Amino acid sequence: MNDHRPRLISLRNPWFTASAGAVLILFLFTVFVGFVWLPSAQNDALFKGLLNAICSAAGVPRAWLSEASPPVQPKAPVSSVVLTPDMLGGPSSGGSVGRGATLALRCTMCHGARGVSAANTPNLAGQYEASIYKELRDFQSGARTSAVMAPMVVGLGDQDLRDLSAYYASLPRGDVSAAQQAHAMPNIVATGSPMRNIAPCGSCHGDMAIKLGAPWLGPQPHDYLKSQLEAFANDRRHNDISAQMRNIARNMTADEINASASYYAGSK
Amino acid sequence: MAETFSAKSNDTAALAARLEKRWAFMMVSIMALLVGVMIFTGLHWAMMPPSRVETINPSTLHVSGEFVESNLGSAVEADGSITVRIIGQQYSFTPQCIVVPAKTPITFRVTSADVIHGMLITGTNINSMVEPGYISTFKTEFEQTGDHLMPCHEYCGVGHEAMWANVRVVDKDAFSKMAAKAGRLTCDL
Amino acid sequence: MISNRRLMLAHFWLAFAVFGLAVLLGEWQMFIRSPLHGWLHNPDLYYRSVTAHGTVMGYVFPTLVAMGFGYAICELSLGQPLIGRRWAWAGYIMIIVGSVAAVVPVAMGLDSVLYTFYPPMIGNAFYYIGVVLVVVGSWVWVVLMGINLNAWKRAHPSAPVPLPMFANVAAAYLWGWTAVGAALELLFQILPVALGFTNTINAGLSRVLFSWTLHAIVYFWLMPAYIAFYTIVPRAIGGRLYSDTMARISFALFLVFSMPIGIHHLFADPQVGSGFKFVHSVFTAMVAVPTLLTVFTICASVEIAARLRGGKGVFGWLKALPWDNPQMLALAFSFVMLGFGGAGGLINMSYQLDSTVHNTQWVTGHFHLIFGGAIVIMYFAIAYDLWPHLTGRAMQHLGLIRTQLWLWFIGMIVTTFPWHYVGILGMPRRMAYFDYTGMSAEAVSVIMSTVGGALLVVSAILFLVILYRNHSGSRAEIAPFTFSRAIHEPTSLPLALNGLGLWVGLMMALTITNYGYPIARLIGLHDAQVPAVFIGAKR
Repeated sequence: MNDHRPRLISLRNPWFTASAGAVLILFLFTVFVGFVWLPSAQNDALFKGLLNAICSAAGVPRAWLSEASPPVQPKAPVSSVVLTPDMLGGPSSGGSVGRGATLALRCTMCHGARGVSAANTPNLAGQYEASIYKELRDFQSGARTSAVMAPMVVGLGDQDLRDLSAYYASLPRGDVSAAQQAHAMPNIVATGSPMRNIAPCGSCHGDMAIKLGAPWLGPQPHDYLKSQLEAFANDRRHNDISAQMRNIARNMTADEINASASYYAGSK
Repeated sequence: MAETFSAKSNDTAALAARLEKRWAFMMVSIMALLVGVMIFTGLHWAMMPPSRVETINPSTLHVSGEFVESNLGSAVEADGSITVRIIGQQYSFTPQCIVVPAKTPITFRVTSADVIHGMLITGTNINSMVEPGYISTFKTEFEQTGDHLMPCHEYCGVGHEAMWANVRVVDKDAFSKMAAKAGRLTCDL
Repeated sequence: MISNRRLMLAHFWLAFAVFGLAVLLGEWQMFIRSPLHGWLHNPDLYYRSVTAHGTVMGYVFPTLVAMGFGYAICELSLGQPLIGRRWAWAGYIMIIVGSVAAVVPVAMGLDSVLYTFYPPMIGNAFYYIGVVLVVVGSWVWVVLMGINLNAWKRAHPSAPVPLPMFANVAAAYLWGWTAVGAALELLFQILPVALGFTNTINAGLSRVLFSWTLHAIVYFWLMPAYIAFYTIVPRAIGGRLYSDTMARISFALFLVFSMPIGIHHLFADPQVGSGFKFVHSVFTAMVAVPTLLTVFTICASVEIAARLRGGKGVFGWLKALPWDNPQMLALAFSFVMLGFGGAGGLINMSYQLDSTVHNTQWVTGHFHLIFGGAIVIMYFAIAYDLWPHLTGRAMQHLGLIRTQLWLWFIGMIVTTFPWHYVGILGMPRRMAYFDYTGMSAEAVSVIMSTVGGALLVVSAILFLVILYRNHSGSRAEIAPFTFSRAIHEPTSLPLALNGLGLWVGLMMALTITNYGYPIARLIGLHDAQVPAVFIGAKR
């Protein structure tokens, strides 16, 4: 009896031959249609010829734009900072807070002794490290223009910028929470204006999520925030990578610019 | 009741099997017909899912290569076709207003600078995912002039609901006039 | 006989409790997104809620139902106590721990990535670890089902495996294999980044791995409903199952075809070639076949019941059906919703038509109709049928049960039909806001959906009340549980239909042919490693 015990995986088992055979035929048919027949109807050069058709249909990576005109180069310098999560990490590339503190002595005139200033300049205390570093690099490259900052960053090396960023990021922020809670979050900050392509401020600037390179906004001087938003809107400032902030500011109304600047300044 | 069944068991079993086979054959035929329709449209209208795989580093888009900011928008190629380059990023498309001529072959080149986005152009069947690390290339042609919305259709973070752009299809002459000045073409909202 | 009542009740109760909470979240989402409510001041709350709703409804709830029902089928159909009771409890505890670990960071706003993860967005690691724990807990069940079936087969050589257990183990193996895709994505792509070992991820590869799970998971959700169609409903309405063989073939086909088709979710993706898209599209057409076979077999079984009750005529027999029987009602509702949902599904699976509805509210409407409608209403039916055997108390309040099923059916139709409609109008899904200014068609439709959602909430509460009140009913003599009997019960079965080896083999072979090359190539594509984008507030 044992000799005749039926086996599942056997050519004598009609269930096996029928099901495996049908699946195999179906597979071969779909492969023929999907990799040979359908690509033949495409008028793309990279689909011509059997091997090309098969490779393209299989998704082999290749350059798909052969005869493109050369890229148009920018008229004014744009930011060339490459933002990645580990751009400031690692033992060699990380900034030294102590060294940064020494270097920061030259900044105190405008940015305050502890990174908080009464003048109409950005508060740097507690700012994200990546954001400070990016702006410093942009001042150096001329992607961001400022008559005051340009001479200040001349002669600073990359490690100096990292150290400065680490130092200012380590300082405690000015107390803004109380000031901000004093008046309700305006709609432009909380919800943006989806119908005009304006995402909520907090979706990039840290309240709800952080977009690498975007700064923390509170507390910053009202006039500074307002002037920067207007500069983005009028294309006078363009060191935001791929126009990410110009796209937003351009669509904001004067009232919305005022409301958001007031909110983040913590003042009416 | 059970006895009634077993009495006629052999007849009914054969009948049941016959009916089932007939039904199964019908159902498989319907599915085969659907597949046939897919093949037909694929062959005769050359409608096929995008198949152009190409990689790119999303962190350096703005530094060099074809996705630098000054090269985004519509470019007129030597053969008269148009190449449109778009970046999707949290939370906007650049350029925000895309202008293309009607009745002209257009190649879209779209990629993401950060997370997964999507794009569709309302009123057309242009619909593509936009993924960091890959360039989505697809070809199309607009028959009529008009304005379209281009929302991001894939969740890309808390600001997702605010991400969209405009597509303006103008007639060929108007486009050539605009194209006379150098550079890449975009429109104002 | 059931010997592990507590185990099964624990699974069902946890499933239905989290289901009740997730239904509330769903209705809240519809409400705040509708014109009835102003814009939410914090859109992240909406995305947190979507993440929690999806995670619970997609992973936790159906898995627990399949497990609880699976343990019951195992004991009832094999007539032997469950082997591996302690392991079963261990799996259950893993699911509890995993669910808590996942949902807490979501509630805190650390993981608004939706239940589809969307790398390179990366949230707090606990969410992903929680989901992995839920999956691993369910794998315990997969293994136990296999062990129990094999033990029974050794004890009963060459006896036909009971249909319910055959189908149950098919569901288990399907889940065991299809969960591998998402598990690979979580373990080798997302978690290393979330835990800080690396900072880059291949978003395209992640999507392909997730698609491995994403489509077949729907069939895993579906399996308990289909098992109920075949093995509970015909008995409950006084009929016979038309064909045992066809039932087995249907489940075998599900096993083979529901998994190697997931790339149809990636029709619009730039990292997969069109050749594989076409292959997956054709195999997607094939997976409709077992459903169409089921429609025939079940309708025939129902007709048998009607004719046994004296039904006459070509359609006149419909009147003779026991419409006051909750099982009959649930089946009818389920088929209606499956019909509409399936028709919508045919549109989604065809590339040309898909591009008009991809990622719109249409898709949300589609899968709520299929899963929330056709499938979940059968989960209710399963609970109503099993409950007396689990509690030892007869079901009271048949009227209340009928009301509950009617409410769910009406609620689901009223919720999802307007969604389909606004999807065609172009309303995107997964958006915290929508501006209804000057859009009365959208506004009216969305309000209708919200009302439908409210009916669903009432129905869900009613469902929980009915189950809860049964526990305090008086003890009754409950007739032993039986499954449906086929007209022609098998006395011996071909090897292929008495075990799942052949079908599992084909499923794995098709995984290699349909997914092998895309995955292998994407793994080798180091250029496509992109920096992670860490989400959540950072002050």
